Amino acid sequence: MTITETSQIGIAILSLNGTLDALSAPDFRNNRSVIDPEKSVVIDMENLDFIDSSGIGAIVGASRQKRQPVGGIILSCMNDRVRKVFEITNAQKLFHIFDDTIAAVDFAATRQSARA
Amino acid sequence: MSSIITLTLPGDILFARLASQTASSIARLLADDQQTETESCVFAHAFELAVTEAFTNSVTHAPENATSAMVTVTFLFEQPHLTVSISDANEPFTIETPAPDIESFPENGFGLLIIRKLMDRVIYRRDGEWNILSMSKSL
Repeated sequence: MTITETSQIGIAILSLNGTLDALSAPDFRNNRSVIDPEKSVVIDMENLDFIDSSGIGAIVGASRQKRQPVGGIILSCMNDRVRKVFEITNAQKLFHIFDDTIAAVDFAATRQSARA
Repeated sequence: MSSIITLTLPGDILFARLASQTASSIARLLADDQQTETESCVFAHAFELAVTEAFTNSVTHAPENATSAMVTVTFLFEQPHLTVSISDANEPFTIETPAPDIESFPENGFGLLIIRKLMDRVIYRRDGEWNILSMSKSL
């Protein structure tokens, strides 16, 4: 899996490409924006082909580290295969999920400015 | 008529994708003639994910010094059922584990839940030193 990181209005956008599984989850966990408890992160999943329970666990665990566990990590553009794994594990309850990344970033920015 | 394919792989997470993509390819091959494109994709994804979970469990629960541990993946097709069995020589385990409490933001414990949700039938048995987890789904 590759992680491409960009930033918009102070929000980190991590675009995941490929497979988020037990092999690649450490790369995600060790990302600086993921680790930072104050940093709001949008995960763009448009090019994420596959996720397993290790990937779900990595995202859930990263969310727990955020100052605001629900809302510190926001998800966008997940395909049906990825969405199904979130639904099976019930992990979708822990996240705000958007169909497009721009809306996700706007939402994150609004929440961030409300906290400031 | 039944068909059997067996893979014996090193118990290393590097080989999880090989096992799961083989499962996906076999499932897709079997489903393509009998299902719609969408159904076939769903059937293949179920096996890709279930085999990933089972193989990852085998690797992560291997004793720390088990450098030579192997994991065997067996595919058995008996119309209309595809069964994948994952065998390892780890300690015995149970498949009757409760679902993790999602509100506590758990990082682990989803694997068997996913397998049970995706497959029609999941059977665990102990055969001598071997754990054998069999996962079946019908076309």
